[in-house]
Amino acid sequence: MSQYLPVVALAIVTVLFGALSFGASRLLAPRRPSSAKSAPYECGILPSQEPPERFPVSFYIVAMLFIMFDIEIIFVYPYAVARSSLGLYGFVAIVVFSVLFFLTFVYEVARGGLDWGPLQRSRNLESAAAVVSPERTTTTTIRRVGTEGRGEPGEAA
Amino acid sequence: MQLVVFVIASLMVLVGAVGVVLRRHPVHAALSLVLTLFGVAVHFVAQEAHFLAAVQVIVYAGAIVVLFLFVIMLLGVDSADDLRIERLPIQRPLAAVMGVGIVGLLIAAVVATRGSEPLQAGAGINVAGVGIDDAVAGHDANITQLAGNLFADYVFAFELTSVLLIVAVAGTVVLTRREKPPSEEDAP
Amino acid sequence: MTGVLAIDPLLFGELKWMPLVIVALKVLVIFVVGLVGTMFMVWFERKVIAGMQNRIGPNKAGPFGILQTLADGVKLFFKEDLLPDRADRFVFRLAPFLAFVPAFLVWAVLPLGGDYRDGNRGLVEWFGHATRVQLADPPVGILLVLALSSIAVYGIMLAGWSSGSKYPLLGAVRATAQMVSYEAALGLSLAAVLLTSGSLSTVGIVGTQDSLSNWNVVATGVVPFVIFVIAATAELNRPPFDLVEAEQELVGGFNTEYSSLRFALFFLAEFMNTITMSGVIVTLFLGGPQPLAIGDWTADIPLVGNGLEGTIWFLLKLLLFLYIYVWFRATLPRLRYDQLMDLGWKVLIPISLGWFLLLAALRLGRDEDWNVWLVAGVSVAGLLVAAVVMFGAMKVSGRNRQQGAVY
Repeated sequence: MSQYLPVVALAIVTVLFGALSFGASRLLAPRRPSSAKSAPYECGILPSQEPPERFPVSFYIVAMLFIMFDIEIIFVYPYAVARSSLGLYGFVAIVVFSVLFFLTFVYEVARGGLDWGPLQRSRNLESAAAVVSPERTTTTTIRRVGTEGRGEPGEAA
Repeated sequence: MQLVVFVIASLMVLVGAVGVVLRRHPVHAALSLVLTLFGVAVHFVAQEAHFLAAVQVIVYAGAIVVLFLFVIMLLGVDSADDLRIERLPIQRPLAAVMGVGIVGLLIAAVVATRGSEPLQAGAGINVAGVGIDDAVAGHDANITQLAGNLFADYVFAFELTSVLLIVAVAGTVVLTRREKPPSEEDAP
Repeated sequence: MTGVLAIDPLLFGELKWMPLVIVALKVLVIFVVGLVGTMFMVWFERKVIAGMQNRIGPNKAGPFGILQTLADGVKLFFKEDLLPDRADRFVFRLAPFLAFVPAFLVWAVLPLGGDYRDGNRGLVEWFGHATRVQLADPPVGILLVLALSSIAVYGIMLAGWSSGSKYPLLGAVRATAQMVSYEAALGLSLAAVLLTSGSLSTVGIVGTQDSLSNWNVVATGVVPFVIFVIAATAELNRPPFDLVEAEQELVGGFNTEYSSLRFALFFLAEFMNTITMSGVIVTLFLGGPQPLAIGDWTADIPLVGNGLEGTIWFLLKLLLFLYIYVWFRATLPRLRYDQLMDLGWKVLIPISLGWFLLLAALRLGRDEDWNVWLVAGVSVAGLLVAAVVMFGAMKVSGRNRQQGAVY
């Protein structure tokens, strides 16, 4: 257990350093609070929207899958360290485990549990062309996107 | 030294556990849970179960509580939620039964082992071939022996774990992904 | 056998005064070196990236502008410390520590030097006590690094959440999902190293890499090394994986609301993590403080005693990786979030798992005297089947998404 002593000592030194720095900063730094300073920072724009309340479910799936993989990793390490003494029997055990594990992972992938980003649907090129205003010519490449092509069902969102 | 470590670790466990129950804000409660888990990890180290201690931190603190925090933070569970409103009516009686059961088990365990010898730290860890004092388990003695248990003696239980994982993943998929008829998506 | 050699003999048996003094000295030296190293890293990054972009970079404070970081750090002491109204005060104050302390503690298990000549296996003698040029070698060894990086996730997640502001929250959610995803890839590629070293202890891992062909980068067949470097870059939130603080989208990411010294601690942690992660890569894959040795020939640094040579080798290798990280930043454009997640989950994790099993099969075949080509062929065939299944799954999910059938 004494092998951990230096780690604990380093942790204590680090925490002390942090605390002392805060103390020093407290003495040195000015204190002029104002309501603008303590409002959420949004590049100068007055915060109008609340922070989002709910997030896409994909984030939970990632956290959940991470638990699975953590457990897999934790089981793989003992095998990796003690491989030479485990022989064929241990190898078969870890392969069976990994294959079962991999199949669940594949199932999750196939069901779209790890899909991110926007839907990549094939676009109707003609309706996409309608969005571009006729001002875009051979002399100017600026795409002026107006409202004329918008509002078509299925195209929005 | 042993005593000091024991007292500190136990304090961490107890303060954390009390915090989980008493803190009003769910995020604070989850952080108290992390403290408890750390205390348990320190206890593991004190008993020379180094690999278990690492697993405790990596899996429990590093993955499971992160999931808890994700759910708490991202669902926007507010501290203003009235705790008196019961969402799942069976929850509280069940919790009471479980609590009493665990206390009963603990008391039974204490009573049953009252007369036996106190357990030495690192007892049962085979340090043969490591060649130092028996009180200190060798560097990898811990994990090697665990590997022997997992991949030879209890291999069936080990493989069953993967079945458990399958159930968990399937559950996640079923609960979070819902089939939508294609027509609904295309509707304006 | 590594068991005996792995434990720091200084802290073995009954504790006496002198060893404790040595430990205290080591702690202080590592602490100071950590801080100074971080300052150096910030300067190094700015200078190198300036060179790559045809600029001069910091050049006013001190020779070559080397004191610029110190000046910036001192300045932060004099800045007002803001605590946003909607912040969760306790967690807001706690978060910088959760980011900063783990960054420091990784130093503890890195072998920073030692005497590897004449079968010395890294032991040096200080004040009449045999010890290692390493703060500690606890029995969990390299797992401590994993445990610490899982704690570091808390620092970022809680910082973003406790700010009570939307951009930090978005940044923190992204960061957490990214860090846990790549931690899985990191852990799996680490398993390949454990397979060759057969020990968790960093001393044991370094000990087996006594010549170039035994360096784990070669011994594990490069793939785990590449995966580890990519995953480590993502774990550090460094470019091209710096979506956490994508300025264009998120203002400043999880630490937007932090100012003054609290911000300094996050900044320090970020650069400290870069150094320590490079140190971990050097330890795991490039032999740590072991000198470069090819066959019977060993590279020798002239004019330096054997005890110091290990440290110089370590620093040289470390510097190489620091440079590579800066190079990444100067060269690679930032990934999109879905690309980031796809790379982590659908490429790195399956490959590292497959590679681990392949290595295990090859080693088993060698132990059992099977035909190498047969073992390799069967394993590769198995992996190909797995790859086909994986691609099939991706295709199915892609098609479902196109049809909008699965939400």
